[in-house]
Amino acid sequence: MYRIRFHGRGGQGMKTASRILGTAFFLEGLEVQDAPRYGAERRGAPIFAYVRASHSLINERGIIRVPDLVIIADDSLVTVPAAGVLAGASNQTFMLISTSEKATTWSHRLNFTGSILTLPAPVEVEDRMELRFVGATCAGAAARLCGIINQTTLEQAVHDELTGLPSTVVEKNLEKALEGYTLMAEHEGCVKEAAMLSSEQYEIPEWINLPFEEASISAPAIHSSLTSELMPTGLWRTMRPVIDREHCKKCWWICSTSCPDGAINIDADNNPQIDYEHCKGCLTCVTVCPSHAILAIPEHKKPTTEETDS
Amino acid sequence: MTRKLLTGNGAAAWGARLAQVDYIPAFPITPQTEIIENLGNWIDNEGMPARMTTLESEHSMITAAGAAAATGVRVFSATSSQGLLYAMEMLYTVAGWRAPFVLTNVSRGLAAPITLEPDHNDIMAARDCGFLQIHCADCQEVLDSVLIAYRLGEDERVRLPVIVNLDGFYLSFTREPVEIPTPEAVARFLPPYDPENIRFSASTPISQAVAVLGGTPYSYFRYESHLAAQKAQEVYDEITTEFTEEFGRSREALESYRTDDAEYLFFQIGSFATKAREAVDRLRESGWAIGLIRPRLFRPLPEKHLRKALAGKKGVAVIDQNLAAGRGGVLHSELGSILFSHANMPGILVSFIGGLGGRDISTEEYFEMAMVTREAVNEGQAPPPRLLYTETELREVEKLQAIANMERIELGAKP
Amino acid sequence: MNETLFRRIKDLPSTHLLGTGVPTCAGCGGLQALHQIYDVFGEKTVFVNAAGCMTLLSVYPFTPFRGSWLYTAMGAAPAGAQGIRDALDIQLQKGQIKKEDDLQTVVLTGDGSAYGMGMSATSSAIERGLDFVYICYDNEGYGNTGQQFSEATPHAARTSTSKGPQGYPGYKKDLFSIWAAHKPSYVATVIGAEPLDLARKIEKAKEKQGPRLILALSPCPTGWNYDPKESANIGRLAVKTGIWPLKEYEDGKVVHTKIPHKRLPVEEYLKLQGRFSHLFEPVRNEEILNGIQERVDTYWAEVDEG
Repeated sequence: MYRIRFHGRGGQGMKTASRILGTAFFLEGLEVQDAPRYGAERRGAPIFAYVRASHSLINERGIIRVPDLVIIADDSLVTVPAAGVLAGASNQTFMLISTSEKATTWSHRLNFTGSILTLPAPVEVEDRMELRFVGATCAGAAARLCGIINQTTLEQAVHDELTGLPSTVVEKNLEKALEGYTLMAEHEGCVKEAAMLSSEQYEIPEWINLPFEEASISAPAIHSSLTSELMPTGLWRTMRPVIDREHCKKCWWICSTSCPDGAINIDADNNPQIDYEHCKGCLTCVTVCPSHAILAIPEHKKPTTEETDS
Repeated sequence: MTRKLLTGNGAAAWGARLAQVDYIPAFPITPQTEIIENLGNWIDNEGMPARMTTLESEHSMITAAGAAAATGVRVFSATSSQGLLYAMEMLYTVAGWRAPFVLTNVSRGLAAPITLEPDHNDIMAARDCGFLQIHCADCQEVLDSVLIAYRLGEDERVRLPVIVNLDGFYLSFTREPVEIPTPEAVARFLPPYDPENIRFSASTPISQAVAVLGGTPYSYFRYESHLAAQKAQEVYDEITTEFTEEFGRSREALESYRTDDAEYLFFQIGSFATKAREAVDRLRESGWAIGLIRPRLFRPLPEKHLRKALAGKKGVAVIDQNLAAGRGGVLHSELGSILFSHANMPGILVSFIGGLGGRDISTEEYFEMAMVTREAVNEGQAPPPRLLYTETELREVEKLQAIANMERIELGAKP
Repeated sequence: MNETLFRRIKDLPSTHLLGTGVPTCAGCGGLQALHQIYDVFGEKTVFVNAAGCMTLLSVYPFTPFRGSWLYTAMGAAPAGAQGIRDALDIQLQKGQIKKEDDLQTVVLTGDGSAYGMGMSATSSAIERGLDFVYICYDNEGYGNTGQQFSEATPHAARTSTSKGPQGYPGYKKDLFSIWAAHKPSYVATVIGAEPLDLARKIEKAKEKQGPRLILALSPCPTGWNYDPKESANIGRLAVKTGIWPLKEYEDGKVVHTKIPHKRLPVEEYLKLQGRFSHLFEPVRNEEILNGIQERVDTYWAEVDEG
């Protein structure tokens, strides 16, 4: 059985990616099981999708615990614990990351003993909708890595999955899928089907008798305030707003009032400060600033010394 | 100490009054309405210092009840049947808030077809929701159970809402002698409600009942509610021991009537179980070694007590006044699951289903149920569940059907 | 009426009370309005929530609130507010809590609950004169489940359950009028794109007693299908085209707080949103576009007369 997991953000086409791959396997005559898993249904929030494919009936179900291939469409997710990109990865796992950094960098950074391959990250474009097609590239790459899906099948799978969408969208997905497929040519077939789990030698589950705790502890209540600030929603960002101090007229904080997330606050010197830990990059502030003093730059081009925030 | 004739509804209202409840969200439904009418009258005309708010549905009523309890006051409410089910989503919800209060359910059969008369399908539908359940056999028990329910639900080891169940008509509208305890005695038994850290106030911000994503945290919260419900078994025992000391009446988790030397047992809950007591007495007169086990506490189901009481017994006639379509009686299933895989448990449980929509169960039927159970023990095999119904009853229904399907024969009537 | 604290934009709060880090979509018009509202209402509040996008504001163990929060169920929030309000009143009366510990109960629901499932509980709460505030963030569809049409969906909008060539066949329910017919203490429409108007209305609501209901149009990038940075424009255009009238009901009268005198054609608003793109491509649907314009024109003609 092939066990493949895709990781990405809402809006990057992970569900489509898993379905393109699933359909491709299916067209090649395998039994397939594919599904997306949401954290919260939000653009930019981490989601993952998985595909199982086998020549026999698939009885496994649910999350993939030990993946053969992990595909990470957005490398900023690797450091997000909730995204769980490394879960279950072993030295037999192949990892494919869409990134501008080198594979060796990632190996060291993650202390990862399996194989890492890279896909070049899409160049940041003004139209952030370009990111929608990352999934297709990943699906194409995955198809080549598994070795048993040929190009026409992949093309057919893309068509099948995107029926009903405008032809420009279908063409773009096709282009990206084939791009991924071509890029992985020299690694064709290196992802192999893993063996089934043995019942002779298995890791014994560490069952406990859950200790009883009184409702003062065990009720689903939060006895603190503002704990949401621990969530770095800034990681969702692909474009970053930057205030040009020369042009900022401290206009009484239209940007601060308009920020949907409350991520712009006014400091003691009456300067608006953007909280980059939490700014999601919606760019509302860019639009509303009457002096056009806020610019949008691609996140990966952010200045190395950032503006400090309070 | 006053002993008065009270209906079951009246007794429930007295329980709430003596418990000095603060808040009564209300909505009328037969056969419980008299409860809120009594309380409303006391508030309006006799200075009962509580607040009653009528909501527009039971779904809203239970929401308001849970929200008020989660804010930190002692809450009482009452419903039946369709109302209980209309609120079903909120029964699960407020139990998960771990905010305790007492809901009186006056048992009534469920639509469709709609009826006003009693059975236990409504309260059985709520058995998984997280509310504890205490079932009453007489009007005295109703009053007592309300007080016990507050002690039980508010205990810091439990903190779950509790349903006190009484049968419609047979208890709700039937007067029996009830001893009304003095407020002083009740105050000794039931202290004021301490909401601990589950409350709303500006100085202690709290986000309650928040969403949970992920099977791991969700399972934790659900398991802990269950463990608290299980803990309620030992807490109930402590409380009822105290209750007996204060008021002299036994309110043990199981009523065990003439069970010590019994070979056969009736197993039943609610007010009709007193008929089983009657049958036990008559059967003993003709030489039977038979008794009755009547759980007062149904959620949690007192497993240890049950296994102890049933050890060494030969056969049990389980009488369900409820019917899970396609399965049978709930008590029968639950008892079976408790006894199976344990040593020295009765090998035969015979399932009888009756009392639906208020249908009477005659004493002769009890005698016959005992006979069938003894035969089953002798044969080593239980017969299929019996839906209690007689020849006469069938003929009665056939007559009704004849009318329902009568063709219109008046002249000029269009077909 | 008291003098408003908010005469100019600079009078608006410069620090924000609602915490960051919530998992709402980037550019969420509902969250924008909620931030502005919370800044005025403050932390002596308990927000009572019904199922919708904002339910995910608080996911264990994260909460953006400095005050309190209770999640109830989709149709239940006003009843939850009733229970809390009654209980606080009881505790105040008994001296169990101090006046400083009292909280304003604020119901927070989406249009799914407000226009539909929660209607019975809302109607009943107003009828009882419950002292509470009700905030509906209206993104014109069942947003949290993927933007299926709700009773707040405007005519011809494409939603995930109205994907036909003409979009949603129904019409947006007039919730403002339904609420106002109950004669509550206050009803107002607001939008985050008009923060001064919003702040004044919330300030007014804060000072009143009884049932106070706020309806906030919430531009929704995910559901209305546009890039998040357009939320601001779309919000402004909703007002400038007259599609979203800013008004209040008070003492038996409806008063418009902003009357767009040179109303922009509704097209300016509609064409920015993917959910209306079928009215422009591949061919313009003049019939529907004219219909939308006419209804808006009729509305404002009646306002002028009245």
